Amino acid sequence: MGGLEDEEPPLKRIKSSPQESRSVLKNLPLIEPIGSSRDTMAKYVRLGDETVGSKGIIKKVEFVRIITRALYSLGYEKSGALLEEESGISLNSSTVNLFRQEVLEGKWDKSVATLGKIAQLEDKIVKSASFLILEQKFFELLQKEQVLDALKTLRLEIAPLCINKDRVHELAGCIVSPARYERLVRDDALHDNPRLRLLEELQKLLPPSVMVPERRLEHLLEQALNVQRESCVFHNSLDSALSLYHDHQCGRDQIPTKTLQSHQDEVWFLKFAHNGKYLASSSRDCTIILWEVSKDGEVSLKHTLMGHQKPVFFVTWSFDDCQLLTCGIEEVVRRWDVESGSCLQVYEKSNFGLVSCGWFPEGKKLFAGMNDRSVCIWDLEGKELEWWKGQRAVKMSDMFIMSDGTVISMNKETTIVLKDGQTRTERVILEDNCITSFSISRDERHLLVNLSNQEIHLWSTVGEPKLLAKYKGHKRTRLDIRSCFGGSEEAFVASGSEDSMVYIWHRGTGKLLEKLPGHSGAVNCVSWNPANPCMLASASDDRTVRIWGISNVSPKLVNACSNNFVINHCNGIR
Amino acid sequence: MGRVHLMYLHGRIYTCKYCQTHLALVEDVVSKQFHCRHGKAYLFNKVVNILLGYKEERMMITGLHTVSDIFCIGCGSIVGWKYEVAPDKAQKYKEGKFILERVKVVDFDGTNFWVSSEAQVGGSDADDAGD
Repeated sequence: MGGLEDEEPPLKRIKSSPQESRSVLKNLPLIEPIGSSRDTMAKYVRLGDETVGSKGIIKKVEFVRIITRALYSLGYEKSGALLEEESGISLNSSTVNLFRQEVLEGKWDKSVATLGKIAQLEDKIVKSASFLILEQKFFELLQKEQVLDALKTLRLEIAPLCINKDRVHELAGCIVSPARYERLVRDDALHDNPRLRLLEELQKLLPPSVMVPERRLEHLLEQALNVQRESCVFHNSLDSALSLYHDHQCGRDQIPTKTLQSHQDEVWFLKFAHNGKYLASSSRDCTIILWEVSKDGEVSLKHTLMGHQKPVFFVTWSFDDCQLLTCGIEEVVRRWDVESGSCLQVYEKSNFGLVSCGWFPEGKKLFAGMNDRSVCIWDLEGKELEWWKGQRAVKMSDMFIMSDGTVISMNKETTIVLKDGQTRTERVILEDNCITSFSISRDERHLLVNLSNQEIHLWSTVGEPKLLAKYKGHKRTRLDIRSCFGGSEEAFVASGSEDSMVYIWHRGTGKLLEKLPGHSGAVNCVSWNPANPCMLASASDDRTVRIWGISNVSPKLVNACSNNFVINHCNGIR
Repeated sequence: MGRVHLMYLHGRIYTCKYCQTHLALVEDVVSKQFHCRHGKAYLFNKVVNILLGYKEERMMITGLHTVSDIFCIGCGSIVGWKYEVAPDKAQKYKEGKFILERVKVVDFDGTNFWVSSEAQVGGSDADDAGD
C-alpha cells in the first residue's frame, strides 16, 4: 500500500476535484487527502513513516511522544499507556522510566547508576544531574538528622564531582549551622513533594530527546496562537476570542458611521475622555460640544460650552474626566465642569495670547503656553504660580507633562525635548523636517510625531528616544492635522488628512490598513475611544464629527480573498 | 480650511503683505539684484509657510528656467517663485532657492510682537531701512 500506485482508488472514494487531488499527490508524495474511511486513515499513518503533516517537518516519533506526555499531564494515565502501546513509541525508554522511579522513591545511589546508563548523555550533564540527586540525598539525610551520613555524602560523593564548588561550600555550611540550612530549604517548602521538584529540575537538565519536557504541547500551541494574534493586523478583540479550531483573523466589517452635525463651523479638535464616556469637540465657531457616549455606542449631545471669543483649537481632559481645559487660539484658557457644563475658571494674562494648555500630573495645577514662547502656571483658582520665560522656542506648539513630571515640549521646529521633572536632564527627539504636532500614547511610552513632510513618526519615550516606525500616505500641506493611537493595546495609528479621509495604519508593521472616505472636508483630528476599541471619532472642516464603528469580534476563517476588502457602509444618521 | 499650521521666524523677517504670515528671514537674503514684472525681487535661501505650484518653463532675462510659483499658505496670494532647474552653469547657483517679490512682502521687526503694524497696502515698495 504505497503512495502513488494507489492513486486511482482513493480518488474514487474521496469527494474532491480530481485536478486538485492529483496536484496534491504530485507535490506531496507522502500525504493523501484525509478521507472518512478508516482505510485511508490507516494509510495516512503508515505512509508517513518519518514525518507527519503536510510540510514534512514534524517528526512522527516526537509528535507521538509529546501527545503522550500531554495525556499523562492531563491525568489520562490509561489513554497515555494505550497510545504508547498502540503506536509502539514509548514516552520514555525503559532506562529513563527506571530512573524516574528511583528518583521518586529516593533510591539515590541506584538512580545515579541508572543515570550513567542512559545513552547519549554528555559527561557534563551526567555530572550536573548527579549533583542535583546527591544534593537532594544530602538534604534528606540532614532532615532525618543523620549528620554523619550527610557529611560522608558531601565528602565522598558530591565533592569529587568537582563542579559548582560554591554550592558545595554552602552545603558544608549547612551541616555546621542549622540556620543556614533553614534558609536554603525555605524555597523547597513551597513544593509539596521535593522529589517531584527534583524530577522537574532533572527534566530541564536532561536533553529533551531523553525526557520529554512537561507541557511541551501546550507551549507549542500557545506559540502558534501568539503568532496568529500578532499577524492579525486588525486584531482588536480579547484573547478569549482566540480558538484552536481555526486560524485567528479579525474581520473588517464596518457598521454604519454616525455623523454628528451640531457645530456651526469647522471642527478643529476632538478628544475622548479617559473613561470613554464623553467626547469633547471644539470648533472654529468658538464653542466646545460635550457629547455623551452610552454603553451601546450611542452618542448624544450633552452640553455646548460657550464663552470663548476665538476659535477653540485644543481640549484636554482632567485625569478624573470631571473637568475640561480648553484653549482659544491666542486667547484664554477656560476650565469647565463636565457634569454641569459651566465654566469654572478663566485663565489669562493681559497682553498675551495663550496657545496651548495642559494639566499637571496631580491635577492641581495647570500650565499654558504663551505666544511669546513663555509658559505660565496657575493653580486651579487662577492664581499665577510660576512664569517660565524662554521655556519654549517655538511659538505655537504642543506641550505635555507626563505623569512622572517629564515635560515634553518643542525646542526648535525640528526638535522635541523631554525634560525630566526631577533631574532636569534632557532627552532629545531630532527630526529632519518640521514637527507640526505630537500626541502621546496612553501608557506614555510612545510618542506620535506629525511632520510637515507628510509622515508620522513613532518614537519610544522610554530611555533614549528611538524612532520605531513611520506612517505615510495621508496628505498634509498646510493644515494642522492630528493623529492618535487607538484600538485594543493601541495597536493602530489613525490620522486625519487634507483629502477628507481618515487613515488607519497598523502600528507594528506600519502598513496602511484603511482609508475611510465620508467626510466632505479635510479631517483635522481623530480620537479613538480608550474604553471601546471599536469606536473612532473624526473632526472635519465640513462641520461634522463622525463616529466610525469598527466591529470585528467575529474571527473569520483564513481566507486569501479576505485581504481584498471592500468597504461596505452606509450613512446611517441616527 | 482647518487650522493652518504656521511656522514662526525670529528676528527681522519678511511677512506676507496681506496676511502677515512669516515668510523669510532678512538674513537669508542671497541677492537683492533680481527683478520681476512688478519691480524688485530678492533671492532667498529659505522661505517658509509657502505652497509650491506646478513646475513650468519660463523665459527669464538670464535664460529658460524651470520654476514653480510659490503661494502664501495664509491667504493663497502668489508671492514669488522657486528655481527648480537653471539652463547653464552660471545660473546653477539659483537652483533650490526662492524669489520673493519685494512688492508682496513687508519688512517686519519680529522681535517686537506687539507692534501693531498695518500692512502697507498700496503697492509702493518700503525702503529697506538700515541695510
